[in-house]
Amino acid sequence: MNPPAAPGDVALEPREASLGLGGLPPMKARTSSITRRAKRTAIFGTLPTWLILIPIGAVPLVVGLWLSVRDENLVSPLPATYVGLENYRTDVFNATFGKALIVTLVIMAIGLLVQVPLGLFLAVLLNRAVRGTQLFRSALITPMLLTPVAVALMFRFMFNSELGVINWALSSLHLPRLDWLGESGPALLAVVIVDSWQAVPFIMLLLLAGLTALPQGPKEAASVDGASAWQSFRYVTLPMLTPVLLVTIMIRLIDGFKLFDIIFILTRGGPGTDTQTVSMLDYNTAFTFLATSRAAAIGTVLAILTLPVYFVWIRVTRIEQ
Amino acid sequence: MRRTRSFVVVAGLMAIGMVAAGCSSSTSNDASGSKSASANKPSEINVFTIPSPSADALKKMAPLFTAKTGIKVNFSSTEYGTAHQKALLSIKSKQGAFDVVQFDNTFLPAFAYAGALAPLDDYQKSDAYDLNDFSPALQKYGTYGGKTYGLVLSTEPFITWYRKSILAKANLKAPTTWDEYQAVAKATNSGNTHGQIIGYGTGGGDWWWMQLVWSWGGQLYDKDFKPLVNSPEAVAATQYYKDLLPLAPSGALSFTGDDVTIQYASTQIAQMIQYSGYASGVFDPAKSPVAGDTAVAAVPAGKVNAVELAGWNIGIPSDAPNPDAGWQFLEFALGKENAKKMLEFGAAAIGRKSVTTDPAMLAKYPYLSLLGLDTPGLVVYPYPQLVTWPEFDKACSDGLADILTGKVSVQDGLNALNDKLTLILAKEPKG
Repeated sequence: MNPPAAPGDVALEPREASLGLGGLPPMKARTSSITRRAKRTAIFGTLPTWLILIPIGAVPLVVGLWLSVRDENLVSPLPATYVGLENYRTDVFNATFGKALIVTLVIMAIGLLVQVPLGLFLAVLLNRAVRGTQLFRSALITPMLLTPVAVALMFRFMFNSELGVINWALSSLHLPRLDWLGESGPALLAVVIVDSWQAVPFIMLLLLAGLTALPQGPKEAASVDGASAWQSFRYVTLPMLTPVLLVTIMIRLIDGFKLFDIIFILTRGGPGTDTQTVSMLDYNTAFTFLATSRAAAIGTVLAILTLPVYFVWIRVTRIEQ
Repeated sequence: MRRTRSFVVVAGLMAIGMVAAGCSSSTSNDASGSKSASANKPSEINVFTIPSPSADALKKMAPLFTAKTGIKVNFSSTEYGTAHQKALLSIKSKQGAFDVVQFDNTFLPAFAYAGALAPLDDYQKSDAYDLNDFSPALQKYGTYGGKTYGLVLSTEPFITWYRKSILAKANLKAPTTWDEYQAVAKATNSGNTHGQIIGYGTGGGDWWWMQLVWSWGGQLYDKDFKPLVNSPEAVAATQYYKDLLPLAPSGALSFTGDDVTIQYASTQIAQMIQYSGYASGVFDPAKSPVAGDTAVAAVPAGKVNAVELAGWNIGIPSDAPNPDAGWQFLEFALGKENAKKMLEFGAAAIGRKSVTTDPAMLAKYPYLSLLGLDTPGLVVYPYPQLVTWPEFDKACSDGLADILTGKVSVQDGLNALNDKLTLILAKEPKG
């Protein structure tokens, strides 16, 4: 099989290539030599990265997979044995996991519906050269710089039904007070609010970078053609921004599958299991129940669930390129 | 072989950690716990602690121990959420990292069953430790399968806390029965004052529920590990538990154990059932606005005069490099001579008779009289001694949340919980 042609190579008829032209070495052989050299350079260039990635990435994943088909747990004094897919049967294909997956997806979906439009709105706003923009940019990215645990702790106090500032504010506005962390709906909403508080600045920052990098020509042309600001945004800016927007959504989807720390502090997955995500379930299985292999099975499935997002990401990146 | 296992352990930890959480273990069984006497006196020992007033007090005792023995005490501390997993992992992979390890009593069966702890029966026969200074219930508090694996680091039974001014205003006395507790709660629940507070939240609400089940004469499971949480007694206790919810502050369904106390100390709440270990905070005027207005009483009695007992244990890991020196430290800090000093250093009290009956100590810490746990007719219930306790606990907490939020009726919810516990208890090691 021939290697793909490198940019600038001259396409030759097979016969010419095999015979060679004017005493020059055969083009195919020269191309192969260049390709081989490029490959070698690529391999050596990326070798340090592979040397780091394989031990910290691939090996643990493989070992995790191996653990998931055994019955390792920290409590048992008996030697662990191979159990096949038993851990998947008991801990993945059950109602608890199903509910945790639904909770994860619901938080992710509501979060995206809130965060992306808000982040886009702020990015568009801050992309205009008006006074105070720099100050607002700095202020708006502050939540992103704080650790999720600290943020969740802060919000936990704010959501306190009796002592929290949020219910105080609702009362001041003659709105009903909510049992934010004690009822299913409000607890789920509270998680989304805290997650969004941290994620919106991140989305805003990515989209702002995307907006800044957009060529001005098409927008100017639209303006000359009499397009309104909304039309210019809807039919010119937004399509050009779509690849960045899609990558941002992909990142947030992956973050959504990993969402743990905010929930751990804010609701502990409660009330009951109404805000227990798959990551939280995995934590409980590993650290509370000390059931290593069962946690590995849940972790493996969680990793598999994120794979489609990865493939979409690769596709989006290709489109962008 | 061990190196290979260690590699697998570390790699496994990383793998699960990448997606959320993880851990691993080697699985060799070594519960020998023998007193491998060190050939030479060690110059230092390592103590594994979990952040708590008791751990802080141990750190204050350390310099005194060093001055007496010349043995330096190093402490390493890990927050509660991952502490037991880390300690178990360290001990089971035979790292020999610690000579003393602190753990929650609820994890004692798991640690003991895993062979992670050395038996202390021979050690605690020493005069300096004086086991007979404890009530029979406390003598058994660190035992599993007939052997002692943990010393009493703190004694924290449920007690009733009440606001003197609120009860006096309503011309009421501290409740002695659960009926009276409910009556006081109803009588005082008006305006900004809440009638009572107990735990209802995720990860802990079931601790209060267990107390009620035992008070109503119920049991959580029988001797064959068959769950009994849908018995008539448990149903009645659960109904009572639910009936008290409207008399608690809103948001109670999300309160952790700490939140229960914070709420009591920060707002107007007539009475609270809470572990005695919170006394150092609630009675400290610098930390608690209700310090001067709070009094305590025994937990109310039901059909059975039951009291739930919680607290820290501390023991010697089976891989301890210096078990004798570790014991020396434990004997020094928790023995009869220094138990009062631990209390004065801020620890939750160790329920020694010499402490709980000492007039000078009682004058300073009146709640100590409730910690002796030797009142005639009192039935002391430690947490269920189950290897599967963490899973059992979570299932109860989740199941009760469904009942409290009205998703299911009390009977249906307990039936479902009973089915779930059947599967969990089937994994409990027998014999």
